Amino acid sequence: MKNKSVLEEAEDIRRAVEMVSLGARMQMLEAETKLSRERLLRIYKEVRGMSPPKGMLPFSTDWFMAWQPNVHASLFMAYYSHFAGRPGLTSLESIIKAYNLYLDNIESGSMEPVLSITRAWTLVRFFDADLLQLAGCQTCGGRFVAHAYDPVQDYVCGLCNMPSRAGKGKRHRAAVRKARKAIA
Amino acid sequence: MKRRDFQQEIKELNLAFLMLAQQMLNDDRESAMLRLGINDEVADLVESLSGPRLVRMASNQMLLPSFRFDDANLLGLMAGEGRDPVSATLHAAILAAGKSSKE
Repeated sequence: MKNKSVLEEAEDIRRAVEMVSLGARMQMLEAETKLSRERLLRIYKEVRGMSPPKGMLPFSTDWFMAWQPNVHASLFMAYYSHFAGRPGLTSLESIIKAYNLYLDNIESGSMEPVLSITRAWTLVRFFDADLLQLAGCQTCGGRFVAHAYDPVQDYVCGLCNMPSRAGKGKRHRAAVRKARKAIA
Repeated sequence: MKRRDFQQEIKELNLAFLMLAQQMLNDDRESAMLRLGINDEVADLVESLSGPRLVRMASNQMLLPSFRFDDANLLGLMAGEGRDPVSATLHAAILAAGKSSKE
């Protein structure tokens, strides 16, 4: 597909730059803009100063089911669903807005972002393809990412019912220590 | 004893709140609506306020910003109550965003 209008191309370049600076991979850029692969490669190199990583994107929905990724993905989806239904917003704009809010939240808690923009984009595509659904937790009422067609009548989220090893990693522990110090 | 009426403080806070809300709405309307917890109608109104009107609105004796989430459980999580403060913060963020988009 080639761009006919110069203005559309400029808009595509702006979008591509925004996505690259958020850390998007080439596959996402190619799907969301009409720019040629060569141009996207040049944009990527100019913005990041290195070649994009090669290889395929992760394609399994299972990644989103592990405890930590699930929490982060659910947070992103909570923001995304606010934007998704709004008129005048494309899906990509909604993803970028929701991802920025997600990053703000993660940074304010001095945590490390677990969900990359490409993962977030894949997540939305999984939802569009009906591979995932949002399940309401019976205890807290929050909505969490779950496999589509899983029974969810008595779903309890990973935060209400934390697995015993959850949040025991080195990095998580460091963030907890910092947060405890800030409270005390 | 002298009665404190907090009028000056309320006015200052209202003014700061309204100005921040206006800036946020100008910057990114949709995200601001989620963060402020307001609908299209209110967003339009706040966005269109001129300087003098903004000051007039702020001089009301009622505090304009209010506690948004009528849920002690959620507010506790926001303050970091739970097994550890980091997951409590995340949990609070998920619940708050979910509630906010339902409003």
